[in-house]
Amino acid sequence: MIKIENLEKVYKTEEIETTALNGINLHVKEGEFVSIMGPSGCGKSTLLNVMGLLDKPESGSYKFLETELLKLNDRERSNFRKRNMGFVFQNFNLIDELTVFENIELPLIYNKIPSAERKKLVNEIIERMNIVNRSGHFPQQLSGGQQQRVAVARALVTKPKLVLADEPTGNLDSAHGNEVMELLCELNETGTTIVMVTHSSHDASFSNRIINLKDGHVISEKINKGKTEELI
Amino acid sequence: MFKLNLKIAFRNLFKNKVYAAINIGGLAIGLTAFILLLLFINHESDYDKWDPELSKIYQIREKHDFFTPDNKQYWQEAVESRIGALTREKIPQFKHVTKVDRIWGNGFSVKIANADPIMVTDFRDADSAFFKVFPYQFVQGDQLTALNEPNTMVLKKKMAVRLFGTDKVVGKEVKVVMWRNDKGRSFKITGVVQEPSTPESVDINAIMHTGDRDKDPESISNSNYCSVYGLAGNILDTTAMNKTLQRIYVDYKKSSFTQRKITYDDYYKNGKVPGLKLVPLQETHANPPFVNGWLQKIKPVIALSIFLLLVSVINFVNLATAQSVQRAKEVGVKKVLGSYRKQLVNQFLFESAIQSLLALFISIVLVELCLPSFNAHFDVTLSFWHSNQLIGIALQLIGVFVVVTLLAGLYPAVVLSNYNPVSVLKGNYERGFKGLALRNGLVVVQFIIAVTFMISIGVMHLQTSYVANKDLGFDRSKLINIQTNYEDDFANRIKKIPGVQYVATTTQVMGNTFNVPEEITYNNQVYNVNTVTVSMDALSALGVQVVSGRIFSSEYGQDTVNTVVLNQAAANLMGKNLVGKQYDIISEKEKYTFQIVGIIKDYHNEGFDKTVIPTVYKANDLGGTSNTNNLLIRFNTSNYQDIVKKIEAEWKRLYPDFPMQYVTVEDAFQKELESSRRLMQMVVLFSIISVILSLLGLFALATFLAKRKTKEIAIRKILGASDFQIINMLNRSFLILVLFANITSWPIAYILTRKWLEGFAYRIDMPFLPFLAATVLSVVVAVFTITLQARKAAISNPVDSLKYE
Repeated sequence: MIKIENLEKVYKTEEIETTALNGINLHVKEGEFVSIMGPSGCGKSTLLNVMGLLDKPESGSYKFLETELLKLNDRERSNFRKRNMGFVFQNFNLIDELTVFENIELPLIYNKIPSAERKKLVNEIIERMNIVNRSGHFPQQLSGGQQQRVAVARALVTKPKLVLADEPTGNLDSAHGNEVMELLCELNETGTTIVMVTHSSHDASFSNRIINLKDGHVISEKINKGKTEELI
Repeated sequence: MFKLNLKIAFRNLFKNKVYAAINIGGLAIGLTAFILLLLFINHESDYDKWDPELSKIYQIREKHDFFTPDNKQYWQEAVESRIGALTREKIPQFKHVTKVDRIWGNGFSVKIANADPIMVTDFRDADSAFFKVFPYQFVQGDQLTALNEPNTMVLKKKMAVRLFGTDKVVGKEVKVVMWRNDKGRSFKITGVVQEPSTPESVDINAIMHTGDRDKDPESISNSNYCSVYGLAGNILDTTAMNKTLQRIYVDYKKSSFTQRKITYDDYYKNGKVPGLKLVPLQETHANPPFVNGWLQKIKPVIALSIFLLLVSVINFVNLATAQSVQRAKEVGVKKVLGSYRKQLVNQFLFESAIQSLLALFISIVLVELCLPSFNAHFDVTLSFWHSNQLIGIALQLIGVFVVVTLLAGLYPAVVLSNYNPVSVLKGNYERGFKGLALRNGLVVVQFIIAVTFMISIGVMHLQTSYVANKDLGFDRSKLINIQTNYEDDFANRIKKIPGVQYVATTTQVMGNTFNVPEEITYNNQVYNVNTVTVSMDALSALGVQVVSGRIFSSEYGQDTVNTVVLNQAAANLMGKNLVGKQYDIISEKEKYTFQIVGIIKDYHNEGFDKTVIPTVYKANDLGGTSNTNNLLIRFNTSNYQDIVKKIEAEWKRLYPDFPMQYVTVEDAFQKELESSRRLMQMVVLFSIISVILSLLGLFALATFLAKRKTKEIAIRKILGASDFQIINMLNRSFLILVLFANITSWPIAYILTRKWLEGFAYRIDMPFLPFLAATVLSVVVAVFTITLQARKAAISNPVDSLKYE
């Protein structure tokens, strides 16, 4: 589904040039759950941002279902993103002024889904995430685990082809972290492709494939046998 | 989407109640001042718009130097009455021409049957054509025939109701007594007209048709003056018409001079020129003959209101951008979820719109609350809800709303929508100094305005108190002026009342001055001076100060014949050692010689914006030929209320049909000071508001900076900085801004206040104190404001902020 070739990204300040991505090649198949790991500053978040069309690389190619995405302009990128991708962040990034229901509803509004259908879709996902009794609450009134469930619900409500998760358990204790990982696995099992950046090998163990980055290069790739076998 | 954005907007407002209050409240105050100004401008530009026909009415103005404050030529509304017939004859474009008496004195007394007399104003004598020119709507009677007969009268509806309690008054009689011992004249009421829907420049409460205005004086050497208006068939080309009028006028003058046996060149010399022109009626209110039009007068007020609005808009921008950090995450999330930049700009503009709309509503309430005192203060009758221009005002307000929303909202909207989602979602809010320069610039602008205001208050205060305490050259206390002519019988009666020191008359007293120009020849030199006629006791009654020689006294029989007293200005003009010298007045046939017996210190009879002109005082037993409704009474006690009552009783016995009217000279003096005092009060009010708003702006910026520097403050504290050092650090960067603003506002304030001072003939030297005081005050208050905010940041626990980071 995703074909990334020779991706390069350089950050420039007045004095220093930092190469964040240095000729990355990466293929992700439909239905795969890929973890990206590596030390701080290895470029894993940059890679995720480029995949989420939040950042532009200097050169290379990024094909999503045979469409070259790097040639799109800002508006087309926005449109592509909102139709095909969902995001989960370490710090949840829910909008404080909106209730749980409204936060989840937001991407549907941007996708111009009619109101009645929006209601249906949001209610479905709220039920699935087991946060029905929280739908009128504001984010600050929820625990971290509950907030991340809302964030996941928001990422999933548009039924995206690809979910990008940036350290989804980084701000959670292990019990809540596990819950979220199980949620992602369930999601993956229903066919959604997931790419996740993580520091935690425990979290990575939930995925099919682990890619290790260092200094902007892919230095190793490991198939998670347990998972793959399970998958087979 | 709209609904969601609305929810976000309101939830944000509630979350940040203090900011929202400062923001909306500040804007509301700025808008209130602006709306009041707008109402005032609307009102003033609405004069004479009550009928479409009015655009075809023209007022004739003649250039001459009678009835002027300084004996110079002006384009005046008072034109010679023969001009009426002249224009009717020579200008075929005019369908009708009418002559209306000017307003003389302080009103007439109206008697209905045996009821007590009622004082009324603006009862004007007009010729029979008045209602053919002015299209008043008749509620009673007939427009074309109402004034056909002499001694008929048409009342405005309100006046009819005031006098009779009803507007069904056609056929009734009223007696008008024009001065105290006038026998009165009876008029038959032949019509009642509707009150026009807009203000009028031709003030009338009633039109009287005595018949006198239908004719002109028989002898060519006699003339009287009135206002002349013509109704044209269509709108005229005034430039072309004025050329014609000028030609007709010069021809007329020449022929009248021939009949009067004087030469044209003799009459028009020393820069005097003939002149006749027409002014569209609808432009007359904006162009009064002597003083500046309303637009000129309120220019400073317009500038003040715009500055105030600007300060509040700047505040809005500053507070909104300072708060934007809180909204960064929302922007990031929305961008990730697929929002376009334009949608975000629209969202934030929409939020500004909500706030400006709230501010607008509050300001409308404030306007309603302020209007009564505003009206009283500025002597106008503005209304908002009851205004017949409500639709126009509403459209203007929508315009103001849009402009303010864009001004206040656009920059924050652009800043916010520019946030990079990748960095804000990681918690890295913009840490650079992008945009800070602009915000600093805005604070500087605010402070320039505020400091300029403060300096202006100081200068204006010093000038006003200088003027209020300035020696007027005469004693204005214990002095009243009854608005009537000097008459021996009455004067002798009140002289007998204990407590009355002097009873006198003069053509020149504060509040009512009538100047007569004269040419005198002294030492073969010709001087133009002003002549004032006084009764024997007038200069003593005024309490003028003698510089040399003496003032008039009944001891000297010659004083009522050919002696004069000069004022200092005239003496300065003519030379030294004048007492005892003689000068001549040379007319065509004869030469009159006058002896100078004394010189008095200049005394003021008008505002301090005008210099005292060189004046010659002549004594006359009865106040002379120029009796101008001044009867001065000097008391020898300041408790003179009871004495006034006795005078009133005496008056009532002599003149039962005409109530006595008087002013104290002190009140007349205060009235002269009023316009500059009003301006000063306005500046004080506006400056206080603008200073408060500027401080709020500074407060917001300090909050913003303290937030941005949370980490820096924490690290410094861990490294051992004291609270005081932290506060100092935050203060320093702002102090530079405030000082910079001060340095910039000094020359601005200097230029503005000097210009204002130049409007006074008697003024203070530019003082230094207000400049110093404004700077010290602004710095102290700014330090206090910032410290308030910086203290909070300084005493917070550094561990918390580092964890947060």
